Amino acid sequence: MKTVATITGRALLILMVWWAFTEGDPSGIGFGLGVAILVTAVSMRLFPEGSVRIRPVQLWLFVLFFLGRSVVAGIDVARRVVSPSLPVDPGYITVQLSLPEGGPRWLLANALSLMPGTLSVSLDGPRLELHCLDTHSSVEEDVRAAEQKVARVFGLPLQGETGFSEGVS
Amino acid sequence: MAFVELVQGILLVIGCLFFAVGTLGLFRFSDTLLRIHALTKVDNLGLGFIILALVLNAASLAIGAKVLLIWVVALAASATSAHLIARAARLQQGDDSGPKGSHD
Repeated sequence: MKTVATITGRALLILMVWWAFTEGDPSGIGFGLGVAILVTAVSMRLFPEGSVRIRPVQLWLFVLFFLGRSVVAGIDVARRVVSPSLPVDPGYITVQLSLPEGGPRWLLANALSLMPGTLSVSLDGPRLELHCLDTHSSVEEDVRAAEQKVARVFGLPLQGETGFSEGVS
Repeated sequence: MAFVELVQGILLVIGCLFFAVGTLGLFRFSDTLLRIHALTKVDNLGLGFIILALVLNAASLAIGAKVLLIWVVALAASATSAHLIARAARLQQGDDSGPKGSHD
Protein backbone atom coordinates (compact mmCIF):
# COMPACT_ATOMS: atom_id res chain seq x y z
CA MET A 1 0.00 0.00 0.00
CA LYS A 2 2.82 2.33 0.93
CA THR A 3 4.65 1.38 -2.26
CA VAL A 4 1.59 2.11 -4.37
CA ALA A 5 1.37 5.56 -2.79
CA THR A 6 5.07 6.20 -3.48
CA ILE A 7 4.80 5.12 -7.12
CA THR A 8 1.68 7.18 -7.70
CA GLY A 9 3.25 10.19 -6.02
CA ARG A 10 6.42 9.98 -8.09
CA ALA A 11 4.51 9.46 -11.35
CA LEU A 12 2.29 12.46 -10.61
CA LEU A 13 5.34 14.60 -9.82
CA ILE A 14 7.01 13.61 -13.09
CA LEU A 15 3.79 14.28 -15.01
CA MET A 16 3.69 17.75 -13.49
CA VAL A 17 7.26 18.34 -14.63
CA TRP A 18 6.27 17.14 -18.10
CA TRP A 19 3.28 19.50 -18.05
CA ALA A 20 5.62 22.37 -17.23
CA PHE A 21 8.12 21.29 -19.93
CA THR A 22 5.49 21.24 -22.65
CA GLU A 23 3.91 24.46 -21.33
CA GLY A 24 0.60 22.66 -20.86
CA ASP A 25 0.29 21.60 -24.50
CA PRO A 26 -2.29 18.76 -24.49
CA SER A 27 -0.98 17.17 -27.72
CA GLY A 28 2.10 15.81 -25.92
CA ILE A 29 0.25 14.10 -23.10
CA GLY A 30 0.40 10.57 -24.59
CA PHE A 31 4.14 10.67 -24.97
CA GLY A 32 4.38 12.33 -21.56
CA LEU A 33 2.50 9.47 -19.91
CA GLY A 34 4.93 6.98 -21.42
CA VAL A 35 7.92 8.98 -20.26
CA ALA A 36 6.45 9.39 -16.78
CA ILE A 37 5.92 5.65 -16.41
CA LEU A 38 9.45 4.86 -17.60
CA VAL A 39 11.07 7.49 -15.40
CA THR A 40 9.08 6.30 -12.40
CA ALA A 41 10.27 2.75 -13.01
CA VAL A 42 13.88 3.92 -13.26
CA SER A 43 13.55 6.08 -10.14
CA MET A 44 12.16 3.16 -8.13
CA ARG A 45 15.22 1.15 -9.12
CA LEU A 46 17.75 3.89 -8.47
CA PHE A 47 16.13 5.34 -5.35
CA PRO A 48 14.13 2.59 -3.71
CA GLU A 49 11.81 3.95 -1.08
CA GLY A 50 13.66 4.18 2.17
CA SER A 51 12.56 4.47 5.71
CA VAL A 52 12.62 8.24 5.59
CA ARG A 53 9.59 10.07 4.35
CA ILE A 54 9.29 13.70 3.43
CA ARG A 55 6.87 15.85 5.41
CA PRO A 56 5.21 18.25 2.96
CA VAL A 57 4.54 21.07 5.43
CA GLN A 58 8.08 20.88 6.82
CA LEU A 59 9.43 20.79 3.27
CA TRP A 60 7.70 24.07 2.47
CA LEU A 61 8.99 25.58 5.70
CA PHE A 62 12.47 24.44 4.68
CA VAL A 63 12.05 25.97 1.22
CA LEU A 64 11.10 29.31 2.80
CA PHE A 65 14.02 29.09 5.24
CA PHE A 66 16.35 28.22 2.36
CA LEU A 67 15.10 31.08 0.17
CA GLY A 68 15.60 33.57 2.98
CA ARG A 69 19.08 32.30 3.78
CA SER A 70 20.18 32.19 0.15
CA VAL A 71 19.13 35.81 -0.36
CA VAL A 72 21.19 36.71 2.72
CA ALA A 73 24.06 34.66 1.27
CA GLY A 74 23.99 36.43 -2.08
CA ILE A 75 23.86 39.88 -0.53
CA ASP A 76 26.57 38.96 1.98
CA VAL A 77 29.03 37.80 -0.69
CA ALA A 78 28.12 40.70 -3.00
CA ARG A 79 28.82 43.14 -0.17
CA ARG A 80 32.22 41.60 0.44
CA VAL A 81 33.08 41.61 -3.26
CA VAL A 82 32.28 45.28 -3.81
CA SER A 83 33.82 46.62 -0.61
CA PRO A 84 37.33 47.91 -1.37
CA SER A 85 39.10 46.07 1.45
CA LEU A 86 37.68 42.68 0.38
CA PRO A 87 36.83 41.56 3.93
CA VAL A 88 37.20 37.79 3.95
CA ASP A 89 38.87 35.47 6.40
CA PRO A 90 38.64 32.08 4.72
CA GLY A 91 39.26 28.77 6.36
CA TYR A 92 38.04 25.22 6.71
CA ILE A 93 35.88 23.78 9.43
CA THR A 94 34.69 20.23 9.87
CA VAL A 95 31.34 19.44 11.42
CA GLN A 96 29.98 16.12 12.61
CA LEU A 97 26.53 15.58 11.21
CA SER A 98 23.90 13.73 13.19
CA LEU A 99 21.74 13.23 10.08
CA PRO A 100 21.49 9.74 8.58
CA GLU A 101 23.20 8.85 5.32
CA GLY A 102 21.69 9.44 1.93
CA GLY A 103 19.09 12.05 1.07
CA PRO A 104 19.16 14.05 4.33
CA ARG A 105 22.95 14.51 4.35
CA TRP A 106 23.02 15.27 0.67
CA LEU A 107 20.28 17.86 1.00
CA LEU A 108 22.08 19.57 3.87
CA ALA A 109 25.45 19.62 2.09
CA ASN A 110 23.99 21.10 -1.07
CA ALA A 111 21.82 23.61 0.76
CA LEU A 112 24.80 24.78 2.82
CA SER A 113 26.70 25.56 -0.39
CA LEU A 114 24.08 28.18 -1.17
CA MET A 115 23.75 29.54 2.35
CA PRO A 116 25.75 32.40 3.83
CA GLY A 117 29.46 31.87 4.23
CA THR A 118 29.63 28.12 3.75
CA LEU A 119 30.62 25.84 0.89
CA SER A 120 30.55 22.05 1.15
CA VAL A 121 33.94 20.67 0.26
CA SER A 122 33.80 17.01 1.10
CA LEU A 123 31.35 14.69 2.71
CA ASP A 124 33.02 11.66 4.22
CA GLY A 125 30.56 9.61 6.23
CA PRO A 126 29.15 11.88 8.92
CA ARG A 127 32.05 14.33 8.57
CA LEU A 128 31.24 17.34 6.46
CA GLU A 129 34.11 19.64 5.61
CA LEU A 130 33.08 23.20 4.88
CA HIS A 131 34.96 26.10 3.44
CA CYS A 132 34.00 29.32 5.20
CA LEU A 133 34.20 32.84 3.89
CA ASP A 134 34.61 34.22 7.36
CA THR A 135 35.77 31.94 10.12
CA HIS A 136 34.88 34.56 12.72
CA SER A 137 31.18 34.37 12.01
CA SER A 138 28.92 31.88 13.75
CA VAL A 139 29.26 29.16 11.12
CA GLU A 140 28.72 26.26 13.49
CA GLU A 141 25.44 27.66 14.77
CA ASP A 142 24.18 28.27 11.24
CA VAL A 143 25.04 24.72 10.25
CA ARG A 144 23.21 23.31 13.27
CA ALA A 145 20.16 25.43 12.53
CA ALA A 146 20.09 24.18 8.94
CA GLU A 147 20.60 20.62 10.14
CA GLN A 148 17.57 20.95 12.43
CA LYS A 149 15.45 22.13 9.55
CA VAL A 150 16.56 19.26 7.31
CA ALA A 151 15.87 16.76 10.09
CA ARG A 152 12.33 18.11 10.40
CA VAL A 153 11.76 17.74 6.65
CA PHE A 154 12.42 14.02 6.99
CA GLY A 155 10.64 13.78 10.32
CA LEU A 156 13.79 12.64 12.09
CA PRO A 157 14.54 13.11 15.74
CA LEU A 158 17.93 14.74 16.11
CA GLN A 159 20.08 13.99 19.08
CA GLY A 160 21.81 16.91 20.68
CA GLU A 161 18.92 19.28 20.19
CA THR A 162 20.09 21.15 23.22
CA GLY A 163 23.18 23.24 23.44
CA PHE A 164 22.51 25.48 20.51
CA SER A 165 20.29 28.46 20.88
CA GLU A 166 17.93 28.93 17.99
CA GLY A 167 18.71 32.59 17.73
CA VAL A 168 19.43 32.59 14.02
CA SER A 169 16.69 32.52 11.47
CA MET B 1 -0.03 46.68 -16.45
CA ALA B 2 2.48 49.50 -16.56
CA PHE B 3 3.11 48.97 -12.87
CA VAL B 4 3.91 45.30 -13.42
CA GLU B 5 6.31 46.23 -16.21
CA LEU B 6 8.04 48.75 -13.97
CA VAL B 7 8.48 46.14 -11.22
CA GLN B 8 9.74 43.64 -13.81
CA GLY B 9 12.26 46.14 -15.11
CA ILE B 10 13.56 46.83 -11.64
CA LEU B 11 13.84 43.11 -10.84
CA LEU B 12 15.69 42.43 -14.11
CA VAL B 13 18.17 45.22 -13.46
CA ILE B 14 18.77 43.98 -9.90
CA GLY B 15 19.28 40.45 -11.24
CA CYS B 16 21.81 41.62 -13.81
CA LEU B 17 23.63 43.68 -11.17
CA PHE B 18 24.03 40.57 -9.04
CA PHE B 19 25.39 38.65 -12.02
CA ALA B 20 27.85 41.47 -12.64
CA VAL B 21 28.97 41.45 -9.00
CA GLY B 22 29.34 37.66 -9.10
CA THR B 23 31.63 37.99 -12.10
CA LEU B 24 33.54 40.79 -10.39
CA GLY B 25 34.11 38.39 -7.49
CA LEU B 26 35.66 35.94 -9.92
CA PHE B 27 38.30 38.57 -10.71
CA ARG B 28 38.79 40.02 -7.25
CA PHE B 29 39.17 36.80 -5.29
CA SER B 30 42.46 35.02 -5.72
CA ASP B 31 41.50 31.62 -4.37
CA THR B 32 39.48 28.97 -6.24
CA LEU B 33 37.19 28.30 -3.33
CA LEU B 34 36.48 31.98 -2.69
CA ARG B 35 35.65 32.37 -6.35
CA ILE B 36 33.15 29.55 -6.10
CA HIS B 37 31.52 31.28 -3.13
CA ALA B 38 31.07 34.39 -5.24
CA LEU B 39 29.82 32.58 -8.33
CA THR B 40 27.33 30.21 -6.73
CA LYS B 41 25.73 32.44 -4.16
CA VAL B 42 25.62 35.75 -6.00
CA ASP B 43 24.64 34.30 -9.37
CA ASN B 44 21.95 32.20 -7.74
CA LEU B 45 20.44 35.37 -6.34
CA GLY B 46 20.75 37.15 -9.68
CA LEU B 47 19.00 34.30 -11.45
CA GLY B 48 16.34 34.35 -8.72
CA PHE B 49 15.54 38.01 -9.42
CA ILE B 50 15.38 37.41 -13.17
CA ILE B 51 13.11 34.38 -12.71
CA LEU B 52 10.88 36.43 -10.39
CA ALA B 53 10.59 39.13 -13.05
CA LEU B 54 9.67 36.58 -15.72
CA VAL B 55 7.13 34.78 -13.54
CA LEU B 56 5.25 38.04 -12.98
CA ASN B 57 3.76 38.05 -16.45
CA ALA B 58 3.96 34.40 -17.46
CA ALA B 59 1.35 33.72 -20.12
CA SER B 60 0.02 30.65 -18.34
CA LEU B 61 0.45 28.68 -15.16
CA ALA B 62 2.43 26.03 -17.04
CA ILE B 63 4.92 28.57 -18.39
CA GLY B 64 5.33 30.02 -14.91
CA ALA B 65 5.98 26.53 -13.56
CA LYS B 66 8.53 25.93 -16.32
CA VAL B 67 10.43 29.11 -15.48
CA LEU B 68 10.46 28.18 -11.78
CA LEU B 69 11.63 24.69 -12.71
CA ILE B 70 14.56 26.23 -14.58
CA TRP B 71 15.58 28.00 -11.40
CA VAL B 72 15.30 24.86 -9.27
CA VAL B 73 17.37 22.83 -11.73
CA ALA B 74 19.97 25.59 -12.06
CA LEU B 75 20.23 25.73 -8.25
CA ALA B 76 20.77 21.99 -7.99
CA ALA B 77 23.36 22.07 -10.78
CA SER B 78 25.20 25.03 -9.27
CA ALA B 79 25.30 23.52 -5.79
CA THR B 80 26.48 20.16 -7.10
CA SER B 81 29.14 21.53 -9.42
CA ALA B 82 30.33 23.94 -6.71
CA HIS B 83 30.78 20.99 -4.38
CA LEU B 84 32.66 18.96 -7.02
CA ILE B 85 35.02 21.80 -7.93
CA ALA B 86 35.58 22.56 -4.25
CA ARG B 87 36.46 18.95 -3.56
CA ALA B 88 38.85 18.81 -6.50
CA ALA B 89 40.49 22.08 -5.43
CA ARG B 90 40.84 20.80 -1.88
CA LEU B 91 42.48 17.58 -3.04
CA GLN B 92 44.96 19.53 -5.15
CA GLN B 93 45.79 21.75 -2.19
CA GLY B 94 46.38 18.63 -0.15
CA ASP B 95 48.84 17.37 -2.77
CA ASP B 96 51.15 20.33 -2.75
CA SER B 97 50.64 21.43 0.81
CA GLY B 98 54.28 22.24 1.22
CA PRO B 99 55.52 25.51 2.71
CA LYS B 100 53.76 27.53 0.08
CA GLY B 101 52.78 30.21 2.57
CA SER B 102 49.65 31.29 0.78
CA HIS B 103 47.53 33.54 2.96
CA ASP B 104 46.10 31.38 5.71
